[in-house]
Amino acid sequence: MARQEVVAMILAGGQGSRLGILTQYVAKPAVPFGSRYRIIDFPLSNCTNSGIEAVGVLTQYQPLELNQYMGNGHPWDLDRNRGGLAILPPFMRSGASDWYKGTANAIYQNIYFIDRYNPSYVLILSGDHIYKMNYGQMLNFHIEKGADASIAVIEVPWEEASRFGIMSCDNEQRITKFAEKPAEPESRLASMGIYIFNWQILRQKLIEDEANPDSDNDFGKNIIPAMLNEGKKLYAYTFDSYWRDVGTIFSLWDANMDLIREAQEIDLSDDRWRIYGRTPVQPSHYVANDGEAINSVLTDGCKIYGRVENSVLAASCTVGRGAVVKDSVLMPGAVIEDNAYIEKAIVGLHATIGQAVEIRPDESFGSSDFRNKLCTEGISVIASNIEVLAGSKIGGNSMLDPKLDPEGKVIATRRPGSLLY
Amino acid sequence: MFIDAMGLILANHNRANLAELEVPRALAAVPFAGRYRIIDFSLSSLVNSGVKNVGVYANHKYRSLMDHLGTGAYWDLDRMQGGLAILPPFLLSGQREDGGELVGLYDFVHDATQEYVVICESNLVMNLDFGPYLDRLKESGANIAVLFNNDGDLAGQPYLILQLDEQSYIKDLFLNPKVLPSRDSALGIVIVRREFLVQYLELEIARGHSSFTVEKLLRLFDSEQILGLYCEEVVLRINSVTSYFKSSESLLNMEVFDRLFNREDRPIYTKVKNEAPTMYFPGNKVNNSLLSDGCVISGEVNDSILFRGAEVKRGARVDNCIIGQDCIISEGAELSCVILDKDTLIRPGVKLKGQPDYPVVIAKSMIV
Repeated sequence: MARQEVVAMILAGGQGSRLGILTQYVAKPAVPFGSRYRIIDFPLSNCTNSGIEAVGVLTQYQPLELNQYMGNGHPWDLDRNRGGLAILPPFMRSGASDWYKGTANAIYQNIYFIDRYNPSYVLILSGDHIYKMNYGQMLNFHIEKGADASIAVIEVPWEEASRFGIMSCDNEQRITKFAEKPAEPESRLASMGIYIFNWQILRQKLIEDEANPDSDNDFGKNIIPAMLNEGKKLYAYTFDSYWRDVGTIFSLWDANMDLIREAQEIDLSDDRWRIYGRTPVQPSHYVANDGEAINSVLTDGCKIYGRVENSVLAASCTVGRGAVVKDSVLMPGAVIEDNAYIEKAIVGLHATIGQAVEIRPDESFGSSDFRNKLCTEGISVIASNIEVLAGSKIGGNSMLDPKLDPEGKVIATRRPGSLLY
Repeated sequence: MFIDAMGLILANHNRANLAELEVPRALAAVPFAGRYRIIDFSLSSLVNSGVKNVGVYANHKYRSLMDHLGTGAYWDLDRMQGGLAILPPFLLSGQREDGGELVGLYDFVHDATQEYVVICESNLVMNLDFGPYLDRLKESGANIAVLFNNDGDLAGQPYLILQLDEQSYIKDLFLNPKVLPSRDSALGIVIVRREFLVQYLELEIARGHSSFTVEKLLRLFDSEQILGLYCEEVVLRINSVTSYFKSSESLLNMEVFDRLFNREDRPIYTKVKNEAPTMYFPGNKVNNSLLSDGCVISGEVNDSILFRGAEVKRGARVDNCIIGQDCIISEGAELSCVILDKDTLIRPGVKLKGQPDYPVVIAKSMIV
């Protein structure tokens, strides 16, 4: 197989359990984001735009939708004779077989895949962040510094620093200390979960780590601290553009809202750095005579007969007459029927909000049967492929999961099956 | 889905006239409905009918068409078996008028294996399943069938009016007659037995003829039984600037729109662009309009169609317009009944007003 200077490995096997019902049947990287995208589009497009030709995607949790979405990698120009996209699930071996135990173990189990390209460097990425980054620039930094490993870091507010893996650096950006979620952070340089390693060094560390029965087989907890202890040269590459972790209901909602905030922190219409994705085959969207879209984002196949305000709508959403969609995120195929009112909601794929349903952020409003601690700031989440029955009234911080409504008073479950457009 | 037919799309239409819209490109490549080229409708109809082998007969101005079609991947036509073939003329210097323009077409049809050929002219906006029409041709035992509807001269010139006998075979054929002998108007869709077409093309080349049109084929009605098949689907014919404008407007009727675009298992495919979604900024006002990805809307838009990447700035107003890809309507500009081809810039405060039956057309890449 033709040699590659760098191979990217995207960790996409996590459940993303803090997204609750949204990741019940799909892996987090396959969750729709920002009207036209899935979360995985961001790292995949960054790879292509950075000139990386060989990409492995490690899948484990609920991979069907994600696999189908990525296909042969064509939408990201990753259907190639040299390199290209490889989907890497755990598999049975003649000896011991195992699921991916941790991030480092997942790479360890794919050493043979990386070795086939005989790369100098390996880029480790997460499949659940929204950002545009040129990994080529980070690689140049890595090479200039003569580093063994480089970790991309971003400055976070002091008060949030204790939620991240925090790096302390000297003047040369060399990492002197790494603390995972420190109670009293020494710095506010947070790891973005993006690493470049010299492959031969990482390969050796992965084998050593695997041999250690006490290890969690995790990059942040095990590999990075071990390399620091050995005095290996670890450098922090500072990234100062838009970057969001969308691991929680609130952060997913909030990052969607970034698309319509005046600051426009992430530019999706940049011709030199397109975010690619598998696009639905749908006609242009329609705004009817009484339809309104105010400070919102719409895409192909939508039909707007009601009022859409401060919201992000994905493909093929319908908003009926007299309906109001406010501060909300609609995933592909969501239908808001006539006279419904939804505010601060995330509506799953092909979900229907029945006529005159009201979903409001106020906790004291309507039914509290679906209240869920994963939902905060008044945001409610509606599962994919369900119908919220006409006239239902739902208060804030609710997660509309059909399992919580066995008698079907509020929710009717409709066809399961593919969630793809 | 299985259909024993290949497809052939004639990318130029000798008699249609789209003025400025057709200057930089073949008719088949004229943009339509916000994100498509006219050829997308024929190609998608063929593919959705189960056709896996499609030739596009292009005889001039086909650069933009080739750019659009690429390998045919967007229509699932990047195939080992069959797939998309672009058939440019086979021209030798100094040797013209010897049938050379038909050789590529002849070879393509000759080498195929399917029993039938579905031929579409390039001016058709439709979402058809050709299967049932093919079945009826088979049953009849005739070699050729042509689809028609009752629109008469509705689409404007050119219109081919058919006179059919009791068994629905063509009795006579009129191009643009002043008095209509019937309202049966041929759509540029013909289904023909491949063997028959091969023999026909052989003779045409031998005679030194250099063009192939649906009309020429239908003129065989004297010697061949040609079956007329009534088509009740929406078929818009783009023959002129006026029919382009009126056909576009008709898409704002959601009944027409759904019959074209929202058919179960029959999507209309086109080249993927990966634009950002459409941004609606505060202060915008949009009524009864179709908008495409990448548009940025801060002004007012009524009864219009906006192609991908169009921008309507604050205080600008667009009524009954078709705004091409990546056009910019600057602050305070007002447009009414205007067709802008792509990449056009309307400067601040500019006012342009056409009439519904005579829209103003601004050519590609102009600055007004």
